[in-house]
Amino acid sequence: MDRLIAKADAIRPLQKKRSKGPPPHKKPKTEHTTHDPVVNSIASHTALPKSLRASSPLPEGTKTYSHIANKKLRSELNRQSAHAARSKALLKDAELLLNEDAGKMEVEGEMDRTWRVGQAEIAKQVGVEAAKGRREMVLDGGPYRSRYTRNGRHMAIVGRNGHVATFDWQTGTMHSELQLQETCRDITFLQDHSHYAVAQKKYVFIYDRDGVELHRLKSHIEPTRLEFLPYHWLLVSIGNPGYLKYQDTSTGQLVIEHRTKLGACNTMTQNQHNAVIHLGHQNGTVTLWTPNLPHPAVQLLAHMGPVSSVSVDPSTGGRYMATAGEDGIVKVWDCRNWKGAVREWAARGGTAELDWSQRGFLGVASGGTVNVYSKPSIHTPFAAPAQPPLYLTHPIPHRPLSSVRFCPYQDILTIGHSSGLSTILVPGAGEPNFDSAEADPFENSKARREREVKALLDKIQPDMITLNPEFVGSMAPPSKLTPGEEIPFARLPRFQRLQVQGKADETELLSDAEAGEGDEEAGEGKKVDREEREKRKMRGKGKSLKRYLRKQRKNVIDPKAVAIREKLTKEREARQKARDAEKGASQEPKSAALDRFKRPS
Amino acid sequence: MVKISVLQHAPSTHLPARPGDPTPTQRNLDPLMHPFARARERTRALNAAKMERMFAKPFVAALEGHVDAVEVLKRRPDSVTNVVSASWDGDIILHDLARRTHVSKVTSAHKGKISGLCWADENRVLSCGVDRNVKMWDMRPSSQVDESMVAGPSEQKPLNVFPGKSVFNSIDHHRSDPLFATASNIVQIWDETKSAPIMNLSFPTSTETITGVKFNLSESSVLASIGSDRTFTLYDIRTGKAERRIIMQMRSNSLSWSPTAPTSILLASEDHNLYTFDIRALDTPSQIYKAHVAAVMSCDWSPTGLEFVSGGWDRTVRIWKEGQGTHPEVYHTKRMQRVLATAFSADARFVLSGSDDGNVRVWKANASEKLGVITARERAAIEYRESLKDRWKMDSQVGKVSRSRHIPKPVYKAGELKRTMLEAQRVKEERRRKHTRSGESKPKAERKKIVVAEQS
Repeated sequence: MDRLIAKADAIRPLQKKRSKGPPPHKKPKTEHTTHDPVVNSIASHTALPKSLRASSPLPEGTKTYSHIANKKLRSELNRQSAHAARSKALLKDAELLLNEDAGKMEVEGEMDRTWRVGQAEIAKQVGVEAAKGRREMVLDGGPYRSRYTRNGRHMAIVGRNGHVATFDWQTGTMHSELQLQETCRDITFLQDHSHYAVAQKKYVFIYDRDGVELHRLKSHIEPTRLEFLPYHWLLVSIGNPGYLKYQDTSTGQLVIEHRTKLGACNTMTQNQHNAVIHLGHQNGTVTLWTPNLPHPAVQLLAHMGPVSSVSVDPSTGGRYMATAGEDGIVKVWDCRNWKGAVREWAARGGTAELDWSQRGFLGVASGGTVNVYSKPSIHTPFAAPAQPPLYLTHPIPHRPLSSVRFCPYQDILTIGHSSGLSTILVPGAGEPNFDSAEADPFENSKARREREVKALLDKIQPDMITLNPEFVGSMAPPSKLTPGEEIPFARLPRFQRLQVQGKADETELLSDAEAGEGDEEAGEGKKVDREEREKRKMRGKGKSLKRYLRKQRKNVIDPKAVAIREKLTKEREARQKARDAEKGASQEPKSAALDRFKRPS
Repeated sequence: MVKISVLQHAPSTHLPARPGDPTPTQRNLDPLMHPFARARERTRALNAAKMERMFAKPFVAALEGHVDAVEVLKRRPDSVTNVVSASWDGDIILHDLARRTHVSKVTSAHKGKISGLCWADENRVLSCGVDRNVKMWDMRPSSQVDESMVAGPSEQKPLNVFPGKSVFNSIDHHRSDPLFATASNIVQIWDETKSAPIMNLSFPTSTETITGVKFNLSESSVLASIGSDRTFTLYDIRTGKAERRIIMQMRSNSLSWSPTAPTSILLASEDHNLYTFDIRALDTPSQIYKAHVAAVMSCDWSPTGLEFVSGGWDRTVRIWKEGQGTHPEVYHTKRMQRVLATAFSADARFVLSGSDDGNVRVWKANASEKLGVITARERAAIEYRESLKDRWKMDSQVGKVSRSRHIPKPVYKAGELKRTMLEAQRVKEERRRKHTRSGESKPKAERKKIVVAEQS
């Protein structure tokens, strides 16, 4: 048995403390490892084969967990961080696969302006095939609104007087054309071009691709605007009664209805990145809604007078929102900080319609023109109410302009107006590289079916919609145990139990504290911190024995502790000096004439 | 002068070149192109967890043949499919798991129950029972056995009989030598060629009944035993002495050496728990495994050493991961009674349980595993689901789905009662600590309470 134990010493029990000393029969280590036939026989079989070992060295800045004592946990964590670092490095290589270039308009001379270039010139320069994107659709029963599918291949249009059509605009194949002969206010595709919903005079109706009426949603009364949240399979409608309704199109359930209490509403848009619904109201407020809150998540007074249009920038992950009001003002807002607009200007011709393209071009249709603004300038804060530099402009004589829509993955902007629709070319508006797993303009019917099934399986529950979509899978908030309550040792969380026993791994906490130290102003704050820490510490702190022991500890002069304390103070001083130096050498007191008489301290 | 270019997707790069070709796909890993990627992945993980529970159909077969409780199950060395079982009516059956048939059967091998069974080599089995005999049997099917050896299938003769003085409780064969150990009121070592024991082993001053004995698989002269005096004892047959022993709070019912970690041993205890000990540090178990709600009657390691199976008086079979003391996989059926014997199959894919109702049941070791041919795509999907579940196991919903098991109402109620009692004990202990001088000391760790005394 001694042989067994000696042989097994290659893998010592993890729980056993090393301080206990080596077992009596342990042989010298070198002899043990080199000549042990058991270990040698195993080694060749248990090592990872060469083909599976990572060949490249680890990227810089890979986190290692050398401070963790548990070998198994340490190797697992190291493996995970190495894997994460490697895949991050591989992401860079994946950019090589993005082989299509975005469209653009570039000026050569200093005095040239892109907005001076008209549609005719653009169409002439880009060639016959691309110029097909520029077209005029003359239709009766206007003003028209339009909508594209998520892959930008199909288009749905609806006229105020009930003319509805859906078609593949690239090949010109008509899917369905209906004369509904009643007021129609909005249209939207559902998950793809196989279904669409129309906001009609009294209710919302759902039609299939061929124009067959499938459903009459009687709970949506007098709808004005529709939106479809593709990842949640929710059809959202707002109407004249002022109720915001979410209908699950996969189960048919009316998920929730919110009473906005702000009257009739005819402005709605969605933030594609967090599925929050933005509504613009008659009294000039803009409200943000999620299904799980009975009140708006955000409410802000955006305009003096009714809000006419709202749009959210998809190119920045929904960080910016643009609003336009009947007061003729266009405002750009930062959705992380609602204190005042980033930028505002007066649109010529009053009420404006807005839409933001995939690459961050803002289209503003007001009066008789469509203006397009480009990215960095519309996001930069600018105090004066001045129009940002114009990227492109196009006059349309058919007032009013009732809708603007950028086509996804194309450089095309569609404007709906009283006598039909016109599409113009906006070079650079569309994302050049699509992802086939998300939206593919070239997918065939089989791929479409497959995507539909997969999307249904991946459907996100409506109550997961929040302002911050990254909350999923993040750390849970700290528990709200009241600090005054005494928690028995056995009920403490593991980390605190370890802390009480003095076995906790404090290295991470310390490093965090050090990182935060730079911000702290004075020793005052730190002291409070320590006091609080002591207060929050375990029960039994105030016991007489503990108190006595603490006092005893104060008087003991341990050379080690003294040395460490000195070292710490030195480091702190050095840091302070460095900070002062950073703040500027000017702070150094000027040498006065009498300084020479100062006693050296 | 202004340079203008407009985005155009060339259909030639995005459409199949010839009809029938797969449509080319394109990737863009920009996170803005994939909204809700994390939420969607979580949904997939939740679906994967639910699918795993949906596919969890662990019961494979029940092998019939015994008319009384099956107390011992032993897989045949060097065979994936053959398992021998013995029951209280004195029958020994060699089962073929793949065909679910009997390869051979010995009726009335012993008078009364058979309490121990082990393989001497590929063909011969040693059995011991309450009739105070150890018998050696040839388990080859009768067609392969010489005519001279056997009179008829109904009255098979043992190859050898080793008469003992007292009732035998357990038997185990040496890994390589023709030696075997039996457990009665002492541990005896026998030579296959001699009719009397060659060695008697017992701890000095011990008067207990030994209930189980097992040779170490790696250091084959080391022997471990458990006894009715709540003991666990280690012997070395070269020195012929009991080396050391520990006395625990409750007695153990079964023991098993780990096949991969030679110093690690598993004990199935009467106090509803299983313990692994590292024999180098016998004062504390290296892990406590808590889930059974009645005494654990049997245990067996998987050949991989990463899992083990246990069967309990609570009529459940549980499969544990090594080092993970809670949330085992739990198997039960309506008609399965007290599980007295459990075994892992040699390929680690199946688990066998022998119970009071006289059936040997075959279960999958991984409840949701698909048996049969799996295509590459299916394999990839399964692996993806596994990794998703692993990544999202901390999510409350995903974790709940993959953790929760339906268990029979009596087991659930017993567990509830047990929890209540333990909680009450804990509270009482805490209050006592709070209001006495002893409260200054830290509570004793659960692991330190198991071993009462260590002797050597």
